[in-house]
Amino acid sequence: MYKKKKGILGVVITTIILIILVFLTNVNTEKLSYIENVCNSLIMPIQNGITYIKNKINGNNSFFENISEIQEKNKVLQEENTKLEQSLRELEIIKAENTTLKEYLSLTEKYEEFKSIPAYIISKDVSNYSSVFVLNVGTDDGVENGMTVIADKGLVGHVISVTKSTAKVQTIIDSASNVSAKINTSNESISCKGVLSSKTLKATYIPNDAELISGDTVQTSGMGGIYPKGIHIGTVRKIVSTNNILDRYLEIEPAVNFETVETVLVITH
Amino acid sequence: MKNILVGIVSFIVFLIIYFLQINFFSWFNISGVKPNLFVILVLFLGLYAGQRNGLVLGIIFGLFLDMTMGRNIGISAIMLSIIGILGGYFDKNFSKDSRITIMLMAVGSTLVFELGSYLLNAMLLSYRIDILNFIRIVIIEMFFNMMLIIILYPLLKKVGYMLENMYKSTQVLTRYF
Repeated sequence: MYKKKKGILGVVITTIILIILVFLTNVNTEKLSYIENVCNSLIMPIQNGITYIKNKINGNNSFFENISEIQEKNKVLQEENTKLEQSLRELEIIKAENTTLKEYLSLTEKYEEFKSIPAYIISKDVSNYSSVFVLNVGTDDGVENGMTVIADKGLVGHVISVTKSTAKVQTIIDSASNVSAKINTSNESISCKGVLSSKTLKATYIPNDAELISGDTVQTSGMGGIYPKGIHIGTVRKIVSTNNILDRYLEIEPAVNFETVETVLVITH
Repeated sequence: MKNILVGIVSFIVFLIIYFLQINFFSWFNISGVKPNLFVILVLFLGLYAGQRNGLVLGIIFGLFLDMTMGRNIGISAIMLSIIGILGGYFDKNFSKDSRITIMLMAVGSTLVFELGSYLLNAMLLSYRIDILNFIRIVIIEMFFNMMLIIILYPLLKKVGYMLENMYKSTQVLTRYF
């Protein structure tokens, strides 16, 4: 009887530990800022008060000396401030207009010539080492081997095998994937590989004299024969330079979030 | 007849595990790493239903996995059949009455399965082998499997003895006395 109880206790404790572990490892760092807020709100009022008193004591000597001068200065600065704010607002409006116009232009240019089939992702991979999706379209819908798959924001991968009603897609973050790409601003061609258990791509074979800026966008170059030219892949997140300039690489953040993506488009050539 | 019945029941369990693995464990994971319940299932079959059954069912389940999710047909089949054989080997050499032995068996066979399938895949698909990340994944996965074994142990033991009685009822005396 005792032994049996002990066994059940072990099971319960392990289950609780497992749930706590899963929760802790998946918790967002954004949510942690809530605890930070609580800590801060405990300390900040006291800190504010102390700083206020300290400033009062320090500034007492010069407080009454040039008060009229300061008031005049204040008036001039306020006027200037209102003018600047006005122009800033105008500029912001123009900027927003500009970006929307640019987006329209590039979208129509980019995806006009592709014909595509919409599809749902019906299952994702069971193992930890590869990233393969299964789509709900197959040869009956006109999907063939090697076709490119995109989502609303950018490149997803390509079809590696197809049945009558399903298609298997190897994503670009899979370890076996290798995409020929180029950096938008400088037109340098690079090669983007998937990295095991991370959601970023590693770009290698960077030309020695390439000018790299983090934040640059990367798109497919059209070389290699799998992916058509000009599909958005992602942005350069980090430039990692090593001792040898040949070895340096880029970390590229894909535009598509592979954990939440549900609908995709299959491009028929 | 017995074999067919066991085969059908374990295939249903396999399908349940398959859907769990795709849907449930894709969000119930430890820092993005899923457990591998297929290894536990095949090891269990090898342990309690005999080496031959473990081998055959391992090949069938592995082929099914390769057809639905893999890129090279045969890798999971080979590795799962090895796990089935390992299960039979453990059955002959170790006692199954202790929770810790079963836990260690599960950890060991998870390591064998993942190492084998990763190396085979790396050879066939020309991965750039990423040792640190791989070790991290394997350690978390082994740990996850171990915890699942602790939780599932009472169930495994009950079903296991039922299976064993089906197969080895005539041999019990020679085995234990």
